[in-house]
Amino acid sequence: MTGLVAVFVTLPFFLSKGWLHILIVMFFNMSYAVGLWVIMRMGYLSFGHAAYIGIGAYASSMLTTMLKVPVLLSIPISGLIAAVVAFAIGKITLRLRGIYFSITVFAFTEVVRTVWLAFDNPFGGPAGIWNIPKPSLFGFKFSSHLSFYFLTLFFFVLVFLFLRRLDKSHFGFTCLSVQTRETELLAQSIGIDTAFYKNMSFTLSCLICGLAGALYAHYFSFVSPFVFTFFLSMDLIVFIMVGGAATIIGPIIGAGSLTVVSEMALAAGYYRTLLFGILLILVIEFLPGGIVSLYHKPSKRESVGSKDERRSTPKTQ
Amino acid sequence: MVELLIGSIIEGIMMGFIYILMSLGLTMLYGIMHIVNFAHGEIYMLGAMGVYFLSERFKIPYFFSLLIVAVASVPFGLLIDRVIFRPIRGNWLQLLVATVGLTLILQSGSWISFGILDKAVKSPFKSVVYFWTATISTERLFAAIVGALLVILLVLLIYRTKVGRAMRAIEEDEDGARLQGVSPDTVSAINVSIGFMLAAIAGGLMAPIFVVNPGMGLPAVLMAFNVVIIGGLGSVPGCILGGLFCGLIQTVGAVFLGVELTYGLLFALLIAVLVIRPTGLLGHA
Repeated sequence: MTGLVAVFVTLPFFLSKGWLHILIVMFFNMSYAVGLWVIMRMGYLSFGHAAYIGIGAYASSMLTTMLKVPVLLSIPISGLIAAVVAFAIGKITLRLRGIYFSITVFAFTEVVRTVWLAFDNPFGGPAGIWNIPKPSLFGFKFSSHLSFYFLTLFFFVLVFLFLRRLDKSHFGFTCLSVQTRETELLAQSIGIDTAFYKNMSFTLSCLICGLAGALYAHYFSFVSPFVFTFFLSMDLIVFIMVGGAATIIGPIIGAGSLTVVSEMALAAGYYRTLLFGILLILVIEFLPGGIVSLYHKPSKRESVGSKDERRSTPKTQ
Repeated sequence: MVELLIGSIIEGIMMGFIYILMSLGLTMLYGIMHIVNFAHGEIYMLGAMGVYFLSERFKIPYFFSLLIVAVASVPFGLLIDRVIFRPIRGNWLQLLVATVGLTLILQSGSWISFGILDKAVKSPFKSVVYFWTATISTERLFAAIVGALLVILLVLLIYRTKVGRAMRAIEEDEDGARLQGVSPDTVSAINVSIGFMLAAIAGGLMAPIFVVNPGMGLPAVLMAFNVVIIGGLGSVPGCILGGLFCGLIQTVGAVFLGVELTYGLLFALLIAVLVIRPTGLLGHA
C-alpha cells in the first residue's frame, strides 16, 4: 500500500503534461466512483450522481467567481451544499427500493440540469461559468499540472483512507445489512434504524462527490450543464461494475483502468460511451463480480440482487 | 375559455393514448418477466430513427416505413432477449445494469451513425382535423388511434389467447407455470418482442410529430417510467390509467401553468405517488 503511494508520489516528475492530465482525471474518477460506491454497496443504484458532482462544482464556481471566497474554503462549503441537498432528496427517495429509487434520482438530475440550462443569470445557462480561479495556499498557486496532480492525489488518498476506515467500522458493517429488502427487514427487526444508516450513507456519498466536483471545477476552470450529464452518472456505474461492487478496491480499479484505457484508445465522447456500454454488458454477462472477483470468486448467494431476493417492488404494509 | 379547455382535454386524451403506447412495453416486461428495461427509450428512438432513415433516405412512404420498423423490431427483441436477458434472468440488479449498458450502446451508436443534427420526418398527412371548436393535428390523431387499437389488441392477447394465459401464468407463479409446461424462455422471448415492437411503433408514430435525434430516448423513457409508476408498475390497466392521467395533466396543466411548470408538476406528482402509494394507482405489491 505504501509502496503504491510512493510510486504515485515519485512518478509525476517523470511524466509529461498529457500524462499528468490523464492521471489527474483518473484520480477524480476514482473519487467519484468511491463516493458512489458508498451508497451502491447498500443496493441502491443511483443514476444521478452527476447532479451532486455538478452541484458541488457549480457551488464552488459561483462562490469563488461571484462572492470572491477563497478556493480552499469554497470547496468544503460546496461539498456541504451538495450534502445538504442530498440529505433532503434522500429523506424522500431512500424509502423506495430498487428501480423506483434509481428513476427518481435520475429524474432529479434532469431537473437540476434543466435549471442550470434555463437560468442565464446565476448559472450561466448553456455556456456555463468560465474563468474559475485555481486554488492557492499561503500564496502558492496551484496552477501547474504538477501541483494540481499532488492536490488531487492528496484529496483522493484522504477520501480513500477515510472510507476504508469507515468500511471496517461499526457503521460500515451495519450499512451492509441494508443490501436487500429481506436483510433490511431483518436488521430493522433487531432494532437497527436502517433509515438513519441509509440517509447517512447517501449524504456521505454525495458529500464526497460534491467535494470532488468542486475541485474538478477549479481544475478545468469552467463548468457547464453539458458536463454533468446522465452519461457521467453512467460512467461511474460502469467503473464500479467493471471493477467490482463488492469491495472498496473495485471502484478504484474500475475507474483507474477505464480512465487510462479510454484515454489511450483515444476514445472520446460517444465512442467512449459505446466502449463503456459494451464493457458493461460483457462484465454483466461474464464477470458479474467485476475485475476484483478474478482474485476471489464470490459464491452465487453473495451477489446483490440474486434470485433470493424475489421482488424489488416496495411492499405495502 | 371553455373551448380551450375542451380542446386541451381532447388533446390530453390523445396524448394519453400515445403515452400508453410508449409505456405498455415497459410495464409488460416488468410485470411478467421482472425486467426493468431502461433501454426502452432507446428502442423508441430507434423506431423513430428507422422511420426517418427509411422514409428520407430510401424514399419509402411513411406508412410502409412504419410497418417495416414494426416488423424489424421483433427479431431485434428476440436477439436481445436471447443474448442479454436470458443468461442473467432472475437477478434484477444485473438485468437493470445490463439494460443500462444497452442504453449506452444504442444511444452512442446512434449518435455516431446518425450524426448530431436533429432530423425531421415529413408528415404523410396534409390537412388538419377540426373537431367541434378544437384544431387537432392529424398526426397526433393517427398516433392516438393506432395507440388505442394496439392497446385493445394487447388486452385481447393477454386475456383471450393461450399465449396470454401463459404470460399471466408466469406472472403469477413462475414455478407453478413451469410445472404446467409453460416455458419461461418462450414467454420471455414473446414478451420482449412485443415490448420492443410497441416501443418502436410509438417512436415511429412520434417521428413526424416531434424532432428526431438520438437523444430523444431519455426524456421518453423518463416519461414512460412516470406513466408506469403512477399507474402501477406491472399492471396493464394501471398503465392505461396512468397514461391517460399523465396526458391530461400535461395538456390541461399547460393551459393553466405553461409548459415548463407542467414538467415540474409531473415530477412532483411522481414523488407524491411514490411517497403515498408506492405501488401506483393499480399496481400489485
